[in-house]
Amino acid sequence: MTRVVLSRLGFYLVAAWAALTLNFLVPRLMPGDATTVMAGRMSASASPEQIAAMRAAFGDTDAPLTTQYVTYLGDIARGDLGRSTSQYPARVADVIATGLVWTLALGGLALTFSFILGTALGVLAAWRRSGWLDALLPPVLALSGAFPYFWLAMLALHLFGFTLGWAPLRHAYCDHLEPAWSLRFAVDVAQHAALPALTIVVATIGGWLVSMRNTMIGVLGTEQITLARAKGLSSRRVLWAYAARNAILPNLTSFGMALGFILGGSLLTEIVFSYPGTGYLLIQAVRTQDYPLMQGLFLAITLAVLAANFLVDLLTLALDPRTRPHA
Amino acid sequence: MISRGAVVIVAAVIAACGDHHAPRSTGADAPLSISIEQQSIWVRNFNPLLPPGRSRWPTRNGVYEPLEIFNPMTGRYTPWLATGHAWSDDLRRLTFTLRGGVRWSDGAPFSADDVAFTFTLLRRHPALDVGFVWGFVEDVRAVDPVTVEVRFTRPYTPGLADLVHQPIVPRHIWRDIADPVAFSNPQPVATGPFTEVRVFRDQVYELGRNPYYWQAGKPEVPSLRFLAYPSNDQANLALALGDVDWAGNFVPAVERTFIARDPVHHHTWSPLVGNMVLLYANTTRPPLGDPRVRKALSMAIDRARLVDVAMYGMTRPADATGLTDGYPAWKDPSAAQAPWMTLDRAAAERLLDEAGCRRGGDGVRRDPAGNVLAFDIEVVSGWSDWVRAAQLIARDLNEIGVRAHLRVYDFSAWMSRLQEGTFALSVGYSLDGPTPFQFYRWTMSQKTVQPVGKLAPGNWHRVGDPQADALLDAFERAASPEEQRAIAVGLQHRFADLAPAIPLFPNPLWGEFSTRRFVGFPDASNPYARLSPNAEPDALLVLTTVAPRVVDGTDGVAR
Repeated sequence: MTRVVLSRLGFYLVAAWAALTLNFLVPRLMPGDATTVMAGRMSASASPEQIAAMRAAFGDTDAPLTTQYVTYLGDIARGDLGRSTSQYPARVADVIATGLVWTLALGGLALTFSFILGTALGVLAAWRRSGWLDALLPPVLALSGAFPYFWLAMLALHLFGFTLGWAPLRHAYCDHLEPAWSLRFAVDVAQHAALPALTIVVATIGGWLVSMRNTMIGVLGTEQITLARAKGLSSRRVLWAYAARNAILPNLTSFGMALGFILGGSLLTEIVFSYPGTGYLLIQAVRTQDYPLMQGLFLAITLAVLAANFLVDLLTLALDPRTRPHA
Repeated sequence: MISRGAVVIVAAVIAACGDHHAPRSTGADAPLSISIEQQSIWVRNFNPLLPPGRSRWPTRNGVYEPLEIFNPMTGRYTPWLATGHAWSDDLRRLTFTLRGGVRWSDGAPFSADDVAFTFTLLRRHPALDVGFVWGFVEDVRAVDPVTVEVRFTRPYTPGLADLVHQPIVPRHIWRDIADPVAFSNPQPVATGPFTEVRVFRDQVYELGRNPYYWQAGKPEVPSLRFLAYPSNDQANLALALGDVDWAGNFVPAVERTFIARDPVHHHTWSPLVGNMVLLYANTTRPPLGDPRVRKALSMAIDRARLVDVAMYGMTRPADATGLTDGYPAWKDPSAAQAPWMTLDRAAAERLLDEAGCRRGGDGVRRDPAGNVLAFDIEVVSGWSDWVRAAQLIARDLNEIGVRAHLRVYDFSAWMSRLQEGTFALSVGYSLDGPTPFQFYRWTMSQKTVQPVGKLAPGNWHRVGDPQADALLDAFERAASPEEQRAIAVGLQHRFADLAPAIPLFPNPLWGEFSTRRFVGFPDASNPYARLSPNAEPDALLVLTTVAPRVVDGTDGVAR
């Protein structure tokens, strides 16, 4: 068992190194650099001397790629992501930190809620096939999930925020509140997160439900379920401990992937609801050619995806004996 | 069952937050809400020495202050930290007289030492020398507490604008800063009207009054408030709802979406004082080096349609001086009327024939060397007004037998193609200054020409004209505005003769305001400054003029 975990870990380390290297190369293959962009946006009179000084300040160098690569790896190892050029002189790590907590909380909670609810409903729908739940939910939720998310979110914002005034129009908390560990602040944050989270749940729950239901139907037809029933086990036990436990494996893998992509994936939510997260930072970094910030965000996303996949791997090992050696 | 329960809970949570759109308070204590930068989060930075856009607005002109303010609407310098300036007879020395009694926001007195120190700092850190003053300055020294003397390496009167617009920092604070380039200056000590950072969070910041401000009774606005709006749409929504008092955003269909929501209080004023938009032709590529070819291209363009279709009629066709409305006192009507700015396809075809670019059997023209006249028109992807304009231009050029195609690039790719001179035709903006000097220097001076492949900060089309340089040199040594104006007339005629770049239309500088809570914004009837908060440094004039609306019980008294 330990050997399996260690070999998985080794695989993820190699994957992380490959991602880091790509992350290093891609921005350097693009035309232009931060100084070019800035000199172009400043009116008049950027002299060659000034451009050289700016390049030095922003860390654009003409050093050979290999030297830059060694410096880059060393900086990453020390946790130094450099300074953002669009938010100069703020450090990339500090800029990312401002958005990270909101994105993780909003995206993570909405996704987990959607996953648990969707999966549970999928189990029930498959169990009582052709019942009212099964007849109604899959088509309705598939329909709501098929709407373009941007449109759905805009509609929700316009209806509940602009027209009815039930939900705030923007931001993660009221602008006149000081962030604090207080009940008032927590309620305020929840109020601001409710509508964006709801739109994510509505848009994604159908996928979880349908895939869980379909896998469940397959599993329910297998001989081991017939055996479990024949043993006289209660239906509840057959349903959850025998059928659902097997059927959840593909959903779990998707969940791990989705969890990793939260950092970059709530982009549209954050744009529509002006939610101060990392997705929006990424757009801004791309728009302003802020390569250090882009690299930092890609790094965070990559590591998050790898970490989430690693956790799912471990979970699968625990749930599914077939994936273990000598089992 | 579960889902119904969840819906009930969610509905209850949503219903619980009905107070989020409470109307903003009015009265003397209400902050002035401004929308300027589009950011999802605010990063704390009040370093005034960084180039514009790096630090939070209004760090350069509002927290810190310049010596004088050039106002393009009046064409005059307004005294600020300096009460005036005087040139020596040989134009090698410029003496500033500073205002007495000015104090920093920590109570320390402001003096000539601070001014001399600021410029010395720029000399040591060229990345901070935004106006590149050390290209023409030899030395800056404090003569006495209220007198600063600047010695020039050569007579260069246009340098006045770069010198007076430099934000001045306090010596007693900044002499201890080891690396002023990477200093975010979280607690600014400054001379401006708004120096106290009252609130600074990811989503909002507020600046309060300077307790020691040198203009008695000003600013009348108690504080400035900036909410983080990540996109134009969000900012425009807030503007329409009356949450924002002053903005410099592009608002689509502004009459319907903004003015109509509150015609009494909502106003917009977008004078044509932004950059000039030009079609740059790379003159190192034959036959674009021939002025006749450039003029022919220009005569094929239907500018009236560009203005209508690409700019929704918000601007006017450019004239042959290439100058925007920012230079009313400078423009020479006879230069403005050169014939190559008027749509005339027959004349354009004649001119191309004359230049040896005749139509082939397929109707497409070939240059004297036999190469097909086929060019990409490059624009920035996502700059939709320019993309529309370039599409129309491509169609117009095809009419006269020039094969033109629209080609979009990402901003930095577009910029580096311009800078390296690897483009053929490109829509671009002008580089401007307080006088037409900068515009003509960056369109015609040999000194700004870089070889293809080498990064050029301007003069991307690479035109160097000895006659223009003789005029520009004379301009640098001109002591009086009258003399400068006479030379500028010569420059305008030279531009009209040479057509170094093809002017299309001036950009409006978008501006919106609401008089529900505040009055005193500039507009067409009272153009004391440009309205847009993006318009620095005259935004400082607006910040010190705007006042809370005095409510007299009925519906308020304006001004």
